[in-house]
Amino acid sequence: MIPALARLPVARLLRTPRTWIAAGAWYALAIGMAVLMRRRAASHGADDVLVEACGALVLPLVAYTLAGAALGARSVAASTAAVAAFGASRVRAAAATVGVGVTASAIAGGLLAATVAIVAHGAADPPVARDALVSGYVGALGGAAYAAWFSLGAGFGGRGGGRLVALLVDWVLGAGGGTTALFAPRAHLRNLLGGAPPVDLSQRASAMALGVLAVACALGAVGRARA
Amino acid sequence: MIALESVAARRRPLSLAGVSVAWGPGVHAVLGAREDGGALLLALVAGAARPRSGRVTVLDGAATAPGVRARVAMVLLDPVLPDALRVDETMALAADIRGEPARDPAERLRALGIEALAARPVRSLSPPEARAVAVTEAVTSSRVRVLLVEEPLLSMDPRAAALLPERLRARAADGCAVVVLTTSPRDAAEIADDHVLLRRGAVSARVTSIDALTDGSPGGARIRVVAHDARDARMLVAALAREDGVEGVAQDGASVVARGRDAVSLARTVGRAAVGASLDVTEMHVEPLRDGEASGLEAPR
Repeated sequence: MIPALARLPVARLLRTPRTWIAAGAWYALAIGMAVLMRRRAASHGADDVLVEACGALVLPLVAYTLAGAALGARSVAASTAAVAAFGASRVRAAAATVGVGVTASAIAGGLLAATVAIVAHGAADPPVARDALVSGYVGALGGAAYAAWFSLGAGFGGRGGGRLVALLVDWVLGAGGGTTALFAPRAHLRNLLGGAPPVDLSQRASAMALGVLAVACALGAVGRARA
Repeated sequence: MIALESVAARRRPLSLAGVSVAWGPGVHAVLGAREDGGALLLALVAGAARPRSGRVTVLDGAATAPGVRARVAMVLLDPVLPDALRVDETMALAADIRGEPARDPAERLRALGIEALAARPVRSLSPPEARAVAVTEAVTSSRVRVLLVEEPLLSMDPRAAALLPERLRARAADGCAVVVLTTSPRDAAEIADDHVLLRRGAVSARVTSIDALTDGSPGGARIRVVAHDARDARMLVAALAREDGVEGVAQDGASVVARGRDAVSLARTVGRAAVGASLDVTEMHVEPLRDGEASGLEAPR
């Protein structure tokens, strides 16, 4: 049943040109900054671009775009209405929709972070292959967590307007290093990419926190399908 | 097949109270507007809404049970179709979800003469085309046993509208329960075998003939006639007093309000009285009659 239910969100992702234009523009911005850093021959080029541009701005916005596209720019409940009309379970349909958004965002985040790590690689950065691999893993984890976070946001508001609120909440909460930052993907992603940790959390703990956030938010988003 | 027992439900601004109705195989009409609770009634049967009290049984199970919902199709005035798919993909997806064997979507669409829409993206469909696709999916599904259609002939692609009554009756003959919600007595008479009149959230009449439904309107009918002046209005009142079938009459300046059992015969009577008295009638229209209002008119004799 799930593969059938995934057809609609996959089609929304693949057949909405606006999605690709928006995601492509954010990609271009990140790659452009990586190229600039490479030309400057910055010693920590990859670290700088990954923390300052990729993790803080581009990856959240790419995830925001992809999660929204999978939902058809609607609320979670509204995005499942069409298949529910054929008798599908709203919860299963929401699970498929959120799953597609999370998967697409994880792939996009992983590719983005790995590409930036390669292009902006500086002399003081870790070996390029290892850096690309680790950055790709962190980008994928961050992308998945962000997509689940925005999907949960889309469970609220008439047309899923809570997605925008989720973006703003992440920026506000995640900007600091205090306790409240523990609840925002931004702070953990920054820690994993080599930036300042929230409340001195280890990178391993931040990775686990991102995973927990991703699962909890995805479950919450699926639960909102009944609304 | 479908049974509602003392059902009360509310979905703002609609509500239903004490609705009991049972439908078996056949085509059944619910005469009433959305505001009368018709759309809510369909949603209850489709499992898309839950009753506050009472019980809704569909296909021997709860309307909200997953096994039941896949065998119920509801086509509203504004159907929701999978926005990013083509029409043929939509038909295939619906078949997969309902658990029925794969069939050529174009062949299914041909049943209502809309096979030309097969390759069209759903996003590009006009509202009547989208309704035609939704109703075709419902009518041609081998799994669907209960079809709920709001205004089957309104805002419907003309190709589908021409074939739909016949298709709905064919499904009913096949053992399905087809319930149409309409405000049109003509559409109800054309399509359905029996009729339920839904009024302000309650079933007010249930008949097998649409004529009986109009004749049996519990409040009767009221017609307002605007005469040339107050003098003509007085003459019309006098003329109406001599007519059978006028149960009450009142004058308000140049207006005369007459009450009778049904609108058609009352209009004929009023026309005959006006012609007989050589009066010019500026305007004449049927007014909705609310419960308890009838006593406000005096008997003509």
